[in-house]
Amino acid sequence: MKTWITIGIGLVIMGIIAAFVVYKFVYNKPHPDYETKDADFKIEAQQLFSEFKSNENAASLKYGGKVIEITGKPSSIEEADSMLIVVFAFEEGMFGSEGIRVTMLAKFNDQVKGLPLDNMTLKGFCTGFNDTDIIFEKGSIVK
Amino acid sequence: MKTTITFVIAVMMLGNVAFAQKYVTKTGKVSFFSTSPMENIEAHNKQVNAALDASTGDFVFKILIKSFEFEKALMQEHFNENYMESDKFPNSTFQGKITNLGSVDFTKNGEYDAEVSGKLTIHGITKDVTEKGKFVVKDGNVQGLAKFSVRLADYDIKIPKAVVNNIAEVIEITVDVNMNPLK
Repeated sequence: MKTWITIGIGLVIMGIIAAFVVYKFVYNKPHPDYETKDADFKIEAQQLFSEFKSNENAASLKYGGKVIEITGKPSSIEEADSMLIVVFAFEEGMFGSEGIRVTMLAKFNDQVKGLPLDNMTLKGFCTGFNDTDIIFEKGSIVK
Repeated sequence: MKTTITFVIAVMMLGNVAFAQKYVTKTGKVSFFSTSPMENIEAHNKQVNAALDASTGDFVFKILIKSFEFEKALMQEHFNENYMESDKFPNSTFQGKITNLGSVDFTKNGEYDAEVSGKLTIHGITKDVTEKGKFVVKDGNVQGLAKFSVRLADYDIKIPKAVVNNIAEVIEITVDVNMNPLK
Protein backbone atom coordinates (compact mmCIF):
# COMPACT_ATOMS: atom_id res chain seq x y z
CA MET A 1 0.00 0.00 0.00
CA LYS A 2 2.80 2.35 1.02
CA THR A 3 4.58 1.59 -2.27
CA TRP A 4 1.50 2.53 -4.31
CA ILE A 5 1.13 5.80 -2.40
CA THR A 6 4.79 6.60 -3.09
CA ILE A 7 4.37 5.82 -6.81
CA GLY A 8 1.20 7.92 -6.93
CA ILE A 9 2.86 10.92 -5.29
CA GLY A 10 5.84 10.52 -7.62
CA LEU A 11 3.59 10.51 -10.69
CA VAL A 12 1.73 13.61 -9.49
CA ILE A 13 5.03 15.45 -8.91
CA MET A 14 6.31 14.38 -12.35
CA GLY A 15 3.04 15.56 -13.90
CA ILE A 16 3.36 18.97 -12.24
CA ILE A 17 6.97 19.30 -13.42
CA ALA A 18 6.01 18.28 -16.97
CA ALA A 19 3.15 20.80 -17.02
CA PHE A 20 5.50 23.53 -15.80
CA VAL A 21 8.11 22.66 -18.44
CA VAL A 22 5.51 22.70 -21.24
CA TYR A 23 4.07 26.02 -20.00
CA LYS A 24 7.45 27.67 -19.55
CA PHE A 25 9.44 26.35 -22.51
CA VAL A 26 6.79 25.51 -25.13
CA TYR A 27 3.65 27.60 -24.62
CA ASN A 28 5.53 30.62 -23.26
CA LYS A 29 8.82 30.16 -25.09
CA PRO A 30 10.47 33.48 -25.88
CA HIS A 31 10.64 35.03 -29.33
CA PRO A 32 13.95 34.37 -31.13
CA ASP A 33 16.70 36.84 -30.31
CA TYR A 34 17.45 38.10 -33.82
CA GLU A 35 20.28 40.29 -32.60
CA THR A 36 22.40 37.36 -31.43
CA LYS A 37 21.13 34.77 -33.91
CA ASP A 38 23.61 33.82 -36.65
CA ALA A 39 22.69 35.17 -40.07
CA ASP A 40 21.43 32.60 -42.59
CA PHE A 41 22.71 34.84 -45.41
CA LYS A 42 25.18 37.72 -45.71
CA ILE A 43 24.61 39.76 -48.83
CA GLU A 44 24.93 43.23 -50.37
CA ALA A 45 21.65 45.15 -50.07
CA GLN A 46 21.61 45.98 -53.79
CA GLN A 47 22.10 42.31 -54.75
CA LEU A 48 19.28 41.17 -52.48
CA PHE A 49 16.92 43.73 -54.03
CA SER A 50 17.96 42.63 -57.53
CA GLU A 51 17.20 38.99 -56.71
CA PHE A 52 13.69 39.85 -55.53
CA LYS A 53 13.03 42.04 -58.56
CA SER A 54 14.21 39.41 -61.03
CA ASN A 55 12.43 36.42 -59.48
CA GLU A 56 10.20 37.25 -56.54
CA ASN A 57 8.95 33.72 -55.92
CA ALA A 58 12.39 32.14 -55.86
CA ALA A 59 13.79 34.92 -53.68
CA SER A 60 10.82 34.75 -51.29
CA LEU A 61 11.35 31.03 -50.81
CA LYS A 62 15.10 31.52 -50.33
CA TYR A 63 15.09 34.56 -48.03
CA GLY A 64 11.58 34.83 -46.51
CA GLY A 65 11.57 34.06 -42.80
CA LYS A 66 15.37 34.04 -42.63
CA VAL A 67 17.85 36.11 -40.64
CA ILE A 68 19.89 38.12 -43.13
CA GLU A 69 22.85 40.46 -42.84
CA ILE A 70 22.85 43.19 -45.49
CA THR A 71 25.53 45.71 -46.32
CA GLY A 72 24.91 48.94 -48.17
CA LYS A 73 24.53 52.68 -47.99
CA PRO A 74 21.11 53.74 -46.69
CA SER A 75 19.32 56.67 -48.28
CA SER A 76 17.25 57.76 -45.30
CA ILE A 77 16.06 56.94 -41.82
CA GLU A 78 12.30 57.20 -41.32
CA GLU A 79 10.39 57.53 -38.09
CA ALA A 80 6.87 56.12 -37.81
CA ASP A 81 5.19 56.02 -34.41
CA SER A 82 7.92 54.60 -32.19
CA MET A 83 9.65 52.72 -35.04
CA LEU A 84 12.86 53.74 -36.74
CA ILE A 85 13.22 52.38 -40.26
CA VAL A 86 16.52 52.38 -42.15
CA VAL A 87 15.71 52.71 -45.85
CA PHE A 88 17.92 51.47 -48.70
CA ALA A 89 16.41 52.98 -51.87
CA PHE A 90 17.25 51.59 -55.29
CA GLU A 91 14.32 52.60 -57.53
CA GLU A 92 11.44 55.05 -57.74
CA GLY A 93 7.91 53.68 -57.94
CA MET A 94 4.28 54.43 -57.19
CA PHE A 95 4.88 54.52 -53.44
CA GLY A 96 7.98 56.67 -53.77
CA SER A 97 11.36 55.02 -53.30
CA GLU A 98 11.61 51.24 -53.49
CA GLY A 99 14.27 49.07 -51.93
CA ILE A 100 14.82 47.54 -48.50
CA ARG A 101 13.24 48.79 -45.27
CA VAL A 102 14.75 47.64 -41.98
CA THR A 103 12.68 48.32 -38.86
CA MET A 104 15.18 48.48 -36.03
CA LEU A 105 14.86 46.92 -32.59
CA ALA A 106 13.86 49.74 -30.21
CA LYS A 107 17.13 49.39 -28.28
CA PHE A 108 19.02 50.66 -31.36
CA ASN A 109 16.83 53.72 -31.93
CA ASP A 110 19.12 56.26 -30.25
CA GLN A 111 22.19 54.82 -31.98
CA VAL A 112 20.49 54.84 -35.39
CA LYS A 113 19.34 58.45 -35.02
CA GLY A 114 22.96 59.55 -34.72
CA LEU A 115 24.30 57.49 -37.60
CA PRO A 116 25.61 59.17 -40.75
CA LEU A 117 24.19 57.68 -43.95
CA ASP A 118 27.39 55.80 -44.73
CA ASN A 119 28.01 52.19 -45.65
CA MET A 120 26.72 49.96 -42.86
CA THR A 121 25.86 46.35 -42.10
CA LEU A 122 22.50 45.55 -40.53
CA LYS A 123 20.97 42.24 -39.51
CA GLY A 124 17.27 41.46 -39.32
CA PHE A 125 14.41 39.05 -39.93
CA CYS A 126 13.22 39.17 -43.55
CA THR A 127 9.42 38.94 -43.78
CA GLY A 128 9.28 39.16 -47.57
CA PHE A 129 8.67 41.47 -50.51
CA ASN A 130 5.49 43.57 -50.85
CA ASP A 131 5.89 44.56 -54.53
CA THR A 132 7.78 47.72 -53.59
CA ASP A 133 10.14 46.83 -50.74
CA ILE A 134 11.85 43.97 -49.00
CA ILE A 135 10.79 44.19 -45.36
CA PHE A 136 13.12 43.45 -42.46
CA GLU A 137 11.96 43.42 -38.82
CA LYS A 138 13.98 43.34 -35.56
CA GLY A 139 16.95 45.06 -37.14
CA SER A 140 20.27 45.41 -35.34
CA ILE A 141 23.54 47.11 -36.19
CA VAL A 142 26.39 44.73 -37.01
CA LYS A 143 28.89 47.45 -37.99
CA MET B 1 1.38 35.15 -58.01
CA LYS B 2 -2.03 36.10 -59.44
CA THR B 3 -2.75 38.40 -56.49
CA THR B 4 0.64 40.05 -56.87
CA ILE B 5 -0.01 40.75 -60.55
CA THR B 6 -3.47 42.09 -59.70
CA PHE B 7 -2.00 44.42 -57.09
CA VAL B 8 0.72 45.68 -59.43
CA ILE B 9 -1.87 46.32 -62.16
CA ALA B 10 -4.03 48.15 -59.63
CA VAL B 11 -1.10 50.31 -58.55
CA MET B 12 -0.15 50.97 -62.19
CA MET B 13 -3.74 51.98 -62.93
CA LEU B 14 -3.55 54.44 -60.08
CA GLY B 15 -0.38 55.82 -61.60
CA ASN B 16 -2.03 56.43 -64.95
CA VAL B 17 -4.71 58.75 -63.64
CA ALA B 18 -3.43 62.17 -64.63
CA PHE B 19 -3.52 64.97 -62.06
CA ALA B 20 -5.24 62.71 -59.55
CA GLN B 21 -4.28 63.20 -55.90
CA LYS B 22 -2.91 60.03 -54.49
CA TYR B 23 -2.17 59.17 -50.89
CA VAL B 24 0.19 56.41 -49.82
CA THR B 25 1.80 54.86 -46.79
CA LYS B 26 4.25 52.05 -46.17
CA THR B 27 3.65 51.98 -42.43
CA GLY B 28 -0.07 51.29 -42.24
CA LYS B 29 -1.35 49.19 -39.36
CA VAL B 30 -3.53 46.09 -39.52
CA SER B 31 -4.39 44.05 -36.43
CA PHE B 32 -6.55 41.08 -35.75
CA PHE B 33 -8.25 39.89 -32.64
CA SER B 34 -9.61 36.46 -31.82
CA THR B 35 -11.68 35.93 -28.71
CA SER B 36 -12.61 32.46 -27.49
CA PRO B 37 -13.57 30.79 -24.19
CA MET B 38 -9.96 29.62 -23.70
CA GLU B 39 -7.96 32.72 -24.61
CA ASN B 40 -7.78 35.96 -26.51
CA ILE B 41 -5.24 36.26 -29.31
CA GLU B 42 -4.15 39.41 -31.07
CA ALA B 43 -1.47 40.24 -33.60
CA HIS B 44 -0.23 43.46 -35.15
CA ASN B 45 1.36 44.38 -38.46
CA LYS B 46 2.81 47.89 -38.80
CA GLN B 47 4.35 47.60 -42.27
CA VAL B 48 1.29 47.70 -44.50
CA ASN B 49 1.42 49.30 -47.95
CA ALA B 50 -1.72 51.27 -48.77
CA ALA B 51 -2.64 53.58 -51.65
CA LEU B 52 -5.72 55.70 -52.28
CA ASP B 53 -6.64 57.63 -55.40
CA ALA B 54 -8.92 60.44 -54.23
CA SER B 55 -10.30 61.15 -57.71
CA THR B 56 -11.48 57.61 -58.49
CA GLY B 57 -11.85 56.18 -55.00
CA ASP B 58 -9.53 53.28 -55.83
CA PHE B 59 -8.09 51.90 -52.61
CA VAL B 60 -5.55 49.10 -52.32
CA PHE B 61 -3.46 47.63 -49.57
CA LYS B 62 -1.01 44.81 -49.27
CA ILE B 63 0.10 42.94 -46.18
CA LEU B 64 3.06 40.63 -45.61
CA ILE B 65 1.78 37.80 -43.42
CA LYS B 66 5.16 37.17 -41.76
CA SER B 67 5.14 40.77 -40.49
CA PHE B 68 2.34 40.00 -38.01
CA GLU B 69 3.71 40.04 -34.48
CA PHE B 70 2.18 38.08 -31.62
CA GLU B 71 2.80 38.29 -27.91
CA LYS B 72 3.66 34.59 -27.80
CA ALA B 73 6.28 33.12 -30.12
CA LEU B 74 4.46 29.77 -30.29
CA MET B 75 1.28 31.44 -31.57
CA GLN B 76 3.28 33.30 -34.21
CA GLU B 77 4.84 30.01 -35.35
CA HIS B 78 1.49 28.22 -35.56
CA PHE B 79 -0.09 31.20 -37.34
CA ASN B 80 2.58 31.21 -40.06
CA GLU B 81 3.22 27.49 -40.43
CA ASN B 82 -0.12 25.83 -39.76
CA TYR B 83 -2.95 28.30 -40.35
CA MET B 84 -1.83 30.96 -42.85
CA GLU B 85 0.87 28.83 -44.56
CA SER B 86 2.82 32.02 -45.10
CA ASP B 87 5.57 30.36 -47.17
CA LYS B 88 2.90 29.37 -49.70
CA PHE B 89 0.71 32.49 -49.34
CA PRO B 90 3.08 35.28 -48.22
CA ASN B 91 0.67 38.18 -48.83
CA SER B 92 -2.86 39.34 -48.23
CA THR B 93 -4.31 42.07 -50.42
CA PHE B 94 -7.35 44.26 -50.70
CA GLN B 95 -8.23 45.96 -53.97
CA GLY B 96 -11.40 48.01 -54.04
CA LYS B 97 -13.19 51.28 -54.37
CA ILE B 98 -14.95 53.79 -52.18
CA THR B 99 -18.59 53.42 -53.22
CA ASN B 100 -19.79 56.73 -51.72
CA LEU B 101 -16.91 58.84 -53.00
CA GLY B 102 -19.16 61.89 -53.33
CA SER B 103 -19.61 61.96 -49.55
CA VAL B 104 -15.88 62.31 -48.85
CA ASP B 105 -14.14 65.66 -49.35
CA PHE B 106 -10.42 64.92 -49.34
CA THR B 107 -9.64 68.64 -49.56
CA LYS B 108 -11.37 69.58 -46.32
CA ASN B 109 -10.48 68.54 -42.77
CA GLY B 110 -13.09 66.27 -41.24
CA GLU B 111 -14.28 62.73 -40.55
CA TYR B 112 -16.21 61.04 -43.32
CA ASP B 113 -18.13 57.77 -43.17
CA ALA B 114 -17.25 55.62 -46.13
CA GLU B 115 -18.20 52.32 -47.70
CA VAL B 116 -15.53 50.35 -49.49
CA SER B 117 -16.21 47.41 -51.81
CA GLY B 118 -13.67 45.19 -53.41
CA LYS B 119 -11.77 41.96 -53.38
CA LEU B 120 -10.07 40.71 -50.24
CA THR B 121 -7.47 37.98 -50.66
CA ILE B 122 -6.37 35.94 -47.67
CA HIS B 123 -4.66 32.55 -47.70
CA GLY B 124 -4.87 32.51 -51.50
CA ILE B 125 -8.69 32.81 -51.50
CA THR B 126 -10.31 35.95 -52.95
CA LYS B 127 -13.76 37.08 -51.81
CA ASP B 128 -15.91 40.09 -52.64
CA VAL B 129 -16.38 42.22 -49.54
CA THR B 130 -18.18 45.43 -48.68
CA GLU B 131 -17.26 47.10 -45.42
CA LYS B 132 -17.98 50.37 -43.70
CA GLY B 133 -15.18 52.56 -42.44
CA LYS B 134 -14.08 56.11 -41.99
CA PHE B 135 -11.66 58.51 -43.62
CA VAL B 136 -10.20 61.24 -41.43
CA VAL B 137 -8.80 64.14 -43.44
CA LYS B 138 -6.41 66.31 -41.52
CA ASP B 139 -3.98 68.90 -42.87
CA GLY B 140 -3.56 67.17 -46.21
CA ASN B 141 -3.19 63.63 -44.85
CA VAL B 142 -5.84 60.92 -45.05
CA GLN B 143 -6.31 58.29 -42.37
CA GLY B 144 -8.38 55.25 -43.32
CA LEU B 145 -10.04 53.41 -40.42
CA ALA B 146 -12.12 50.25 -40.53
CA LYS B 147 -13.10 47.35 -38.35
CA PHE B 148 -14.68 44.23 -39.81
CA SER B 149 -15.01 40.49 -39.27
CA VAL B 150 -13.61 37.61 -41.25
CA ARG B 151 -14.83 34.02 -41.04
CA LEU B 152 -11.75 31.77 -41.18
CA ALA B 153 -13.61 28.99 -43.02
CA ASP B 154 -14.41 31.42 -45.88
CA TYR B 155 -10.68 31.63 -46.60
CA ASP B 156 -10.01 27.91 -46.14
CA ILE B 157 -8.06 28.48 -42.93
CA LYS B 158 -8.29 25.25 -40.98
CA ILE B 159 -7.94 25.11 -37.23
CA PRO B 160 -6.84 21.74 -35.79
CA LYS B 161 -9.38 20.09 -33.45
CA ALA B 162 -6.89 20.19 -30.57
CA VAL B 163 -7.00 24.00 -30.44
CA VAL B 164 -10.48 24.61 -31.83
CA ASN B 165 -11.57 26.11 -28.49
CA ASN B 166 -8.60 28.49 -28.44
CA ILE B 167 -9.28 30.28 -31.73
CA ALA B 168 -12.47 32.04 -32.77
CA GLU B 169 -14.26 31.00 -35.97
CA VAL B 170 -14.70 34.70 -36.78
CA ILE B 171 -11.88 37.12 -36.14
CA GLU B 172 -12.00 40.89 -35.98
CA ILE B 173 -9.71 42.87 -38.30
CA THR B 174 -8.77 46.47 -37.57
CA VAL B 175 -7.29 48.69 -40.29
CA ASP B 176 -5.57 52.00 -39.54
CA VAL B 177 -3.64 53.45 -42.48
CA ASN B 178 -2.41 57.03 -42.22
CA MET B 179 -1.59 58.08 -45.79
CA ASN B 180 0.39 61.08 -46.98
CA PRO B 181 0.03 62.80 -50.35
CA LEU B 182 2.27 61.23 -52.98
CA LYS B 183 4.80 63.82 -54.11
